[in-house]
Amino acid sequence: MDIVYKTLGLPAELLSKVPGIGPIVKACCTSVGQKILMAITGLSLVGFLVVHLGGNFNLFAGEAAFNGYAEKLHSLGPLLAIAETKLFAIFALHLGLALSTRAMSARARKSGYEKTESKQSGFLIPNGGAANMMFITGLILGGYVVLHVLDMKINIWKFDAGESKYALVRMVLRDPLHWGVYLVALIALGIHLSHGISSAFQTLGISHPRWNKILRFLSVALAWLIAGGFMSLLVWAYAFEAR
Amino acid sequence: MSDETLNLTLRVWRQDNSDSEGEFRDYKLSGVSTHMSFLEMLDVLNEQLIEAGEMPVAFDHDCREGICGMCSLMINGQAHGPDNATTTCQLHMRRFQDGDTIVIEPWRAAAFPVLRDLVVDRSAFDRIIQSGGYVSTNTGNAPDGNAIPIPGKVQEVAMDAAACIGCGACVAACKNASAMLFVSAKVSQLAVLPQGHAERTGRVLNMVAQMDEEGFGHCTNTSECEAACPAEISVSNIARLNREYVRATLVNRD
Ligand code: HEM
Ligand code: FES
Repeated sequence: MDIVYKTLGLPAELLSKVPGIGPIVKACCTSVGQKILMAITGLSLVGFLVVHLGGNFNLFAGEAAFNGYAEKLHSLGPLLAIAETKLFAIFALHLGLALSTRAMSARARKSGYEKTESKQSGFLIPNGGAANMMFITGLILGGYVVLHVLDMKINIWKFDAGESKYALVRMVLRDPLHWGVYLVALIALGIHLSHGISSAFQTLGISHPRWNKILRFLSVALAWLIAGGFMSLLVWAYAFEAR
Repeated sequence: MSDETLNLTLRVWRQDNSDSEGEFRDYKLSGVSTHMSFLEMLDVLNEQLIEAGEMPVAFDHDCREGICGMCSLMINGQAHGPDNATTTCQLHMRRFQDGDTIVIEPWRAAAFPVLRDLVVDRSAFDRIIQSGGYVSTNTGNAPDGNAIPIPGKVQEVAMDAAACIGCGACVAACKNASAMLFVSAKVSQLAVLPQGHAERTGRVLNMVAQMDEEGFGHCTNTSECEAACPAEISVSNIARLNREYVRATLVNRD
């Protein structure tokens, strides 16, 4: 396993030798630095999700509105390609850091305890709740994103939607198997973000006794607003007439 | 408070040295007074083991009043046992019921190798302190307490962070065996005071580097450390550590 990490860490290792940016790259590789990158990439992904959800709400406005929005996006041409590449890079970095920090911690506790119990009184899920489900919910999200791109961009299942993106989205979401998988992924998203967003603030050093409670509340609310927003599209697919 | 006595089963980790495998062994202990402290109960167990010709259980302790941070036991899956803001030496047997089985383990972390039974080597913490947890000016004789005026609120932050006794419960309780709470307390207590302020840049960079070098894990912001800490160190210190780290990375001139 160590050889895998060494190989994966090679780019960072080389970059850290470059004068000027070297010390910054080095700092990014420490336990603290990796978490800060994780928070920045995570929040960037949240930013993307908010924009993405905003675009998707065009579905409620009907076929013409949604397809018009889709066309406008695609008319951006190379700009869209650049944005998509950046998004992919951010995603890959976030995933890479998840694996790297996890490996770091696995090495830090080689043998576990016979018994563990928490002193925290957990809300819904004891023992830190969502904080302990970051990796598994993250992996679900990773798998989901791959499926989602295959569904909507490539139409790998050959849904007969013609040129209409609106029709394609509807067909994908009305497929019971897709509907179920999407729902599971969105629950995972809500859990991931309900720890992720507030955790990112703490990681970035944004913490003050006067603001922590409200910040925590707003973070969790935003997490479930985003997840709930996407879930509303699942409801839309079945409960609303096509228009 | 009743003068009850307890009959207990102790499931204790036994390990000859850092190279050997180690295993749990069960011991019956009867007639344990509820007035005893947890460590006194272990003393009684050891008397019993010595009489039976067995090696006594090695465990760390020194002050037995919650200030030295030596006593370091995982008791029924909780660092320092079930009470909040309490060290193992301050834990009393009245917290347990007659007939209980108590699982007693050492701190588990790659950076805290087990030396023997329940004793771990925590010198990784010392090396982290040596890497920056000090002020390098020679202060001479104790200066007048009010020579440098410091606002009460700032002083409180520093004193709260300085309450850390370095016991390692944060590492023990963290699912990542992260030392972030310890390091953040040591960085904070100095960074917020004028005496420590001047060297804050190099300090945080060096201490984080040493922490990683020792093989501690990363922080998931689960706050299990704060809950387990007998000195009630707040995770707001970890946020300060992160801030200090970003700042130091950007302004460092070395
Ligand atoms: C490939 C899929 C993903 C994986 C494997 C993954 C994994 C993780 C893990 C393991 C953490 C926590 C790190 C820790 O506990 O220390 C984390 C944090 C986070 N993730 Fe993800 N994640 C994924 C996708 C996403 C997506 C799609 C978003 C946002 C829309 C996101 C947003 C965040 C945020 C905001 C954090 C908080 C960073 C912090 O704790 O400071 N993640 N991710
Ligand atoms: S023996 Fe000193 S703190 Fe417990």
